[in-house]
Amino acid sequence: MAASVVIDTHELARTFKKVRAVDGLTLSIHPGELFGLVGPDGAGKTTTLRLLAGLLGVSDGRATVLGFDLQHESESIKPHIGYMAQQFSLYGELTVLQNLSFFSELFDVSAPDFNERSRRLLDFAGLADFKYRRAANLSGGMQKKLALACTLIHQPEILLLDEPTTGVDPVSRREFWNILTDLHIQGTTILVSTPYMDEADRCSRVGLLYAGRLITCDTPQHIRATLEGQVIEVRPDDWHAALQVLRPLAGVRAVQAYGEALHLLVDSGEERLPQVLAALEQAHISCGSIRLAPPRMEEAFFSMIQELEA
Amino acid sequence: MSLRHVWAVTRKELYHILHDRSTLFLVLFTPTLTLLLMAYALTVDIKHVPIAVLDYNRSPQTRAFIQRITAGQDLDLYAYARDMPELDDMLMRGEIKAAVILAPDFTRQLQAAKGLSLQVIIDGTEPNSGNFAVEHISQRAEAYVDQALARQLNAAGISANALNALDVRVQAWFNPDLKPRNDLIPGLISMVLGFPALSVALTLAQEREHGTLEQLLATPIGRSELMLGKILPYIIVGLLNVILIPLLAIAWFQISFHGNFLLYFGLSAIFMFAVLSMGMVVGVFMRTQAAALALSFLVIFFPGFFLTGIFFPLASMPEEVRLEAMMLPGTHYAIITRGVFLPGVGLDVLWPYAVMMFVLGVAFIGVAALFFRKKLG
Repeated sequence: MAASVVIDTHELARTFKKVRAVDGLTLSIHPGELFGLVGPDGAGKTTTLRLLAGLLGVSDGRATVLGFDLQHESESIKPHIGYMAQQFSLYGELTVLQNLSFFSELFDVSAPDFNERSRRLLDFAGLADFKYRRAANLSGGMQKKLALACTLIHQPEILLLDEPTTGVDPVSRREFWNILTDLHIQGTTILVSTPYMDEADRCSRVGLLYAGRLITCDTPQHIRATLEGQVIEVRPDDWHAALQVLRPLAGVRAVQAYGEALHLLVDSGEERLPQVLAALEQAHISCGSIRLAPPRMEEAFFSMIQELEA
Repeated sequence: MSLRHVWAVTRKELYHILHDRSTLFLVLFTPTLTLLLMAYALTVDIKHVPIAVLDYNRSPQTRAFIQRITAGQDLDLYAYARDMPELDDMLMRGEIKAAVILAPDFTRQLQAAKGLSLQVIIDGTEPNSGNFAVEHISQRAEAYVDQALARQLNAAGISANALNALDVRVQAWFNPDLKPRNDLIPGLISMVLGFPALSVALTLAQEREHGTLEQLLATPIGRSELMLGKILPYIIVGLLNVILIPLLAIAWFQISFHGNFLLYFGLSAIFMFAVLSMGMVVGVFMRTQAAALALSFLVIFFPGFFLTGIFFPLASMPEEVRLEAMMLPGTHYAIITRGVFLPGVGLDVLWPYAVMMFVLGVAFIGVAALFFRKKLG
């Protein structure tokens, strides 16, 4: 293992019956990275994380985590990683503190370390006042934070988090990401999967997973920059009619809806903007506003996936 | 093997048992309730079997005879039938379980001292009551004929004592009254104490269904640590039953306990370990609670019922079945329980069964740990 790589996979694959959930994944993650794994549902994000956590057998290819081979030494990896499953998987009948203590014992955390860390983690996660509450009676956001605290109790070198903020309210989501950013600053390597592009933007590096393969892997800035063309944002009164008119226009690669706005991915903004205006006018569709917008991660990924599907 | 890991799982599992009412009920009360239910259903002594008599002779002798066989509480004279069709009808309706037909020459046979022929019809759909009636009627009839013969011999000046040349005196040791209950209840106790095996069989599938298994598998816990940690709490709870249930048997059913209770408690702990490990084997192979439940009945409960020698003696089983019975911890524990209750034997007699249970327990938990994969899917 090169000292600068903590997770290293080469053509990693996992097959379920006939579906290749992960299909030839090659990926290197360096110490201290906050790596975001994005991709549509069924792209293989959960399978990838479960493979790296040693929870699934490898079908093909090879991978090492902290230098341990995933195929033969998956048990040796477990003390060094903190894995957080997508759905709530703590013990509902145990209290917050009992859950923490349970996992600390399985990870061989000494009693003094546990006392110190549990106090710090509960403060950190905002759960200090809920120590004696049963986990089943916590809100969704608090359950996620408790799950994170449980995966941090043994101070793992690598955190593997599977969609930690899915189904969580926006405030808790932001709090959760502030915690992740703190951990990132402290030097923990984090691999997090997310369906949210604004979260992908907060990562140091992002990988797009599609049909079990890594399509692209770069910093958010670079990914946004690779997007060819520009985005025109239109707020039409008649949304459906506008869609009919704008989709077939020359130079429009994709149309996406964002609430009341439509985002048109075009090859050249300056050239296409007047044409879009003309087309809407001709169809008697009035617009609240129309402007050139900076491309976002979402558009970048969307256009990549569209190209793949075409 | 880290004891800390084992204890962490055990403590977590104890919280679960205490907080989950259905599990608590299952492990604490179902053994007691089942024992009560089965003890009453299975040990009711047969009494008051209704019979009818078709008397073609109608003499003082037949009346004396009928009075003789229906004296006491065992058989009840339901009716005198007029003819065969009426008797047939009563049997068909289930009003009587047996019928006695006295021949027209009953008195002549008796006086000729050539023995007596008697026809008894029983309802074969319920052989227990029928057999009971037959046995009872032949005993009483024999005594009646013996007496009649003795009277005749005495009248002829011959001493009737010669008739009783064979004098068999049976003594039933350990169970002097030959009450079936005294033997059956210890057997049932050994069966119901194995019930927590069901909860153990379900526990892995339950974690799988609740999603908690995923987080558990991501920890460095060893497979045998997990298995032992999950069995231990049910041994602890099960041993509460080992105190409760014999007390119930002694106080409620008046079964005498002649052995050493501490010895019984210790041997019960070994049995718990063995039978719960067996439950764990089921749990390892079944992925859903429903499947684990079904398999538990197939490999733990039904064999525990029919093969452990509680109801059917091991000696009457074919060789292969007896071999299978020896693989069940319950077989050895039934022998231990009966031995401790009735004759009150000690470790000098029971040690081979204890060793066998322990060996089985180690083998079962070994198989469970070996086949349990720390993987999802």
